[in-house]
Amino acid sequence: MFIRRHVSTTPTNRILSPFLRGYSSGPPHFYSNKQLELYANRKTHRLSLRQLVFFGRSMTEDRLIKSANYVRTELPVRIAHRIRDMQLLPYAVVTEEHVAQIYSLYWSAFEKLRNYPQINDRAGNDRFCEFLHEILQEHSAAIPILSLGLSISSPHLTPDELDSFMRRMLVSRISRRVLAEHHLALSEGFAQREKFQTSVENVGIIFTGLNVKRSLDKFIKLISSDAPGGIADRLRQDSVLRSLPKLPEIVVDGEVDATFSYIREHLEYIILELLLNAVRATGYQMCFLPDKVPGVIRATISSDKDDVYLRISDQGGGLMLNERQTPSDLYSFSHHRNITRLDDARLVALQHVSRRKGGMMGKVSEKISARNSNTRAQEEQEEVAEQEEEPQRMGMGLPLSNIYATYFGGTLELMSMDGWGTDVYLKLPRLGTNLEGIEV
Amino acid sequence: MLRYKSRTTLNFTGRRLLQTQTPPPTSQEYLQLAGAYKSLKPRPTPLSTLLSFGSPLTPSSIVLSASYVLEELPRRLVQRVRSMEALPYIVGMNPFIARTLESYRQTFQDLATAPPVVDAASNIEFTRRLENLVRSHANDIPVLARGFQECAKYMRPEVISSFLDGAIRSRIAIRFIAEQHIALTRALKLHPGTQTVPSLEPTHSRGVVDSECSPFEMVNLCTTFVHELCVGTFGMAPDVTIDGMTDVTFPYVPVHVEYVLTEILKNAFRATVENHQRKYGIHSTGPLPQVQITIAYATLPPVPPSVETSFSDNEASTAVSTRKPPSYLSIRVRDQGGGVDPKDLQRIFSYAFTTARGVLNTEDSDLEGGPYAMQAVGGLAGIADTGSMDTDGGDAGGLFGEIVGKGLQTGLGTIAGLGYGLPMARLYASYFGGSLELISMHGHGTDVFIKFRCLDENTNIEV
Repeated sequence: MFIRRHVSTTPTNRILSPFLRGYSSGPPHFYSNKQLELYANRKTHRLSLRQLVFFGRSMTEDRLIKSANYVRTELPVRIAHRIRDMQLLPYAVVTEEHVAQIYSLYWSAFEKLRNYPQINDRAGNDRFCEFLHEILQEHSAAIPILSLGLSISSPHLTPDELDSFMRRMLVSRISRRVLAEHHLALSEGFAQREKFQTSVENVGIIFTGLNVKRSLDKFIKLISSDAPGGIADRLRQDSVLRSLPKLPEIVVDGEVDATFSYIREHLEYIILELLLNAVRATGYQMCFLPDKVPGVIRATISSDKDDVYLRISDQGGGLMLNERQTPSDLYSFSHHRNITRLDDARLVALQHVSRRKGGMMGKVSEKISARNSNTRAQEEQEEVAEQEEEPQRMGMGLPLSNIYATYFGGTLELMSMDGWGTDVYLKLPRLGTNLEGIEV
Repeated sequence: MLRYKSRTTLNFTGRRLLQTQTPPPTSQEYLQLAGAYKSLKPRPTPLSTLLSFGSPLTPSSIVLSASYVLEELPRRLVQRVRSMEALPYIVGMNPFIARTLESYRQTFQDLATAPPVVDAASNIEFTRRLENLVRSHANDIPVLARGFQECAKYMRPEVISSFLDGAIRSRIAIRFIAEQHIALTRALKLHPGTQTVPSLEPTHSRGVVDSECSPFEMVNLCTTFVHELCVGTFGMAPDVTIDGMTDVTFPYVPVHVEYVLTEILKNAFRATVENHQRKYGIHSTGPLPQVQITIAYATLPPVPPSVETSFSDNEASTAVSTRKPPSYLSIRVRDQGGGVDPKDLQRIFSYAFTTARGVLNTEDSDLEGGPYAMQAVGGLAGIADTGSMDTDGGDAGGLFGEIVGKGLQTGLGTIAGLGYGLPMARLYASYFGGSLELISMHGHGTDVFIKFRCLDENTNIEV
């Protein structure tokens, strides 16, 4: 017998139980986890750099639409995996204010994506790109908020649990950004090519002739330039570095012609982070040991048929870890491994950045200047928090660099000569055959 | 030395069968002795205890030292014997392994039955015997190496590795204890008839530990040696630069440092030359890229107390935070020898992996010229003494040369080795808590980071 119910078009879960809220006002209740489970049970379809390049090379409108639908269906799967992961964290952790915020955010993205209609034409793709931009923007503050939340709720997790959870979140996040931004760049590139018939050095976000020395030189120039608002400016906000007449010198040697195909944003994030660390450490040494000849920071490049190598060698005094620590602890988000995570200055910085409109996306542009950024929202944004006395050091640089480095199967290693300096070794694969390093 | 009973048997047709050789049954005397020591395990030997016999160094303290040696060494020696006896029978039958086993049994027996030392005079006799015993074991490692090479098909590499790690570590300890006593006895001999020995030799030695080792001097010494070796082998050798904290000194065992440095430098020099020749041809006289050596010293910062109290490991939380943090002397050897092929990286620290075309490597299949592979040049050039088993006359002294009073020799030996150098260098470097790590930038060069844990007075380091 068919029973007619006098109901509105809200989802059926509202009828089933008076305790349930609709999805628009927050994450669904325990009993409506079905949709999530459907997606979470699907396998992630991992890609390799080569596949990303290959697909983007001979772009047609047809392929563009195919790409759009691929992104449309793959993103919710990846987000669903993260949500399920969060659901298995201790209750106390996910109910913490900041973590709860991220949980909500993820649900909202999941629902939006899973309900997004199929894309059938160019116009549809344009709308989809707008939609992607919005979602990327919404999530821009997720990293610092989540990091803050986890730092606060770390008593409920072992260091390993916290670390691996955060790492999975960040890796997945990078993977979603890679998918989304690659598609956005492909769409833009396609439009450009139609208009200008230009030959490009990039396929989407992948640059096919990425020359390591060129990226290094770019940053070296920025670091030593006097232009206001740039990296040098930010460095000099540090009271110790400010007192130096000149910032440390950086020299590049080795296989200066080495080029390969890679996501430029990833490579440059790592390079800049490592250079900044070296400059700060060396600068501090120069201050505290003024009689010592200032050490030169040396960047050495090499390559073989499978990989590209970069070593950054400084005389900044070394890592000086205590006997319980190893250098890989610096990649950890847990305060047990890295006690500085709970420093007030760190937490304040995290809070500050999490409230900032543009948030923090793990982009090179953020490092260069707090004000300049190529995100649309920040272009519109006028008000910026006043520059503080000390620059905002959130402590995410090394963990993020490590994640970027290992994303397609590379490595990042730190070796310390305690009392003298540090050597950092980066290895990135150049064949592009490794799959994304995310969980399936 | 080894007495085998050989039997010739005739089968029923009267034809001679192969001569069989079985080792003689273990002597009763030995069995009884070993039995007595069955329950006595080696005890931890605090470094401070050993050093205490030398400060102050007196006729009575030397007697204490001798008694300590007589107590401790048999325990450790019988453990060595037992671990060799636990090897598969067919391995124990290998003449090189068997020779070593017998040698250890003999030494154990000698020391276990030695008369107690009661005064400085009887100590002289005892120490002379001890020196002979040490000398008789000088070639243990090369001999064992040869034996294991022949037994490779009977034991898995990991099992061999594990055995060798234990054997070498144990050997380092035994020699350390013995050599310390020998050195103290010599120091006392130099000042006969005095009640206490005044401030010792200019090397500030209290036995084998030099409280003011100069890394700079040791690097110079080893570099000179390796340079000659390299020129003798290849006709050319790179220059070396030394930077960092060149004036620093630290307390350590000089021969350990020199051994490690020599091994690593040999690798660096060889790689540099071979890489250069690969690029520019064998007859090129062009400038070789330098090998850069950097020295650093630091005392670690203390562990914050809050880290100890939560999620702590087994170690008692007070132990670490109240103890003085350790100090380390770091040496980095950086070459431009082209780096290590990634496919070899896994194996360079395993025993007997080498790409050197050495005397004993004719059966090795890993001789794919091409990329530089981290060959471990240990073995003979680093260890050999008189009576070395390599017949090419290599007599490059080193570690044991000093012990028998010859000082570091600079004879020429082959630079190609058995594949033991890197794993042994790592064992020596990590012996008191240090480390040895290797990072390769393939296509450019290799960096080796050596860290020695300083043997300061107040640390509870064990031998």
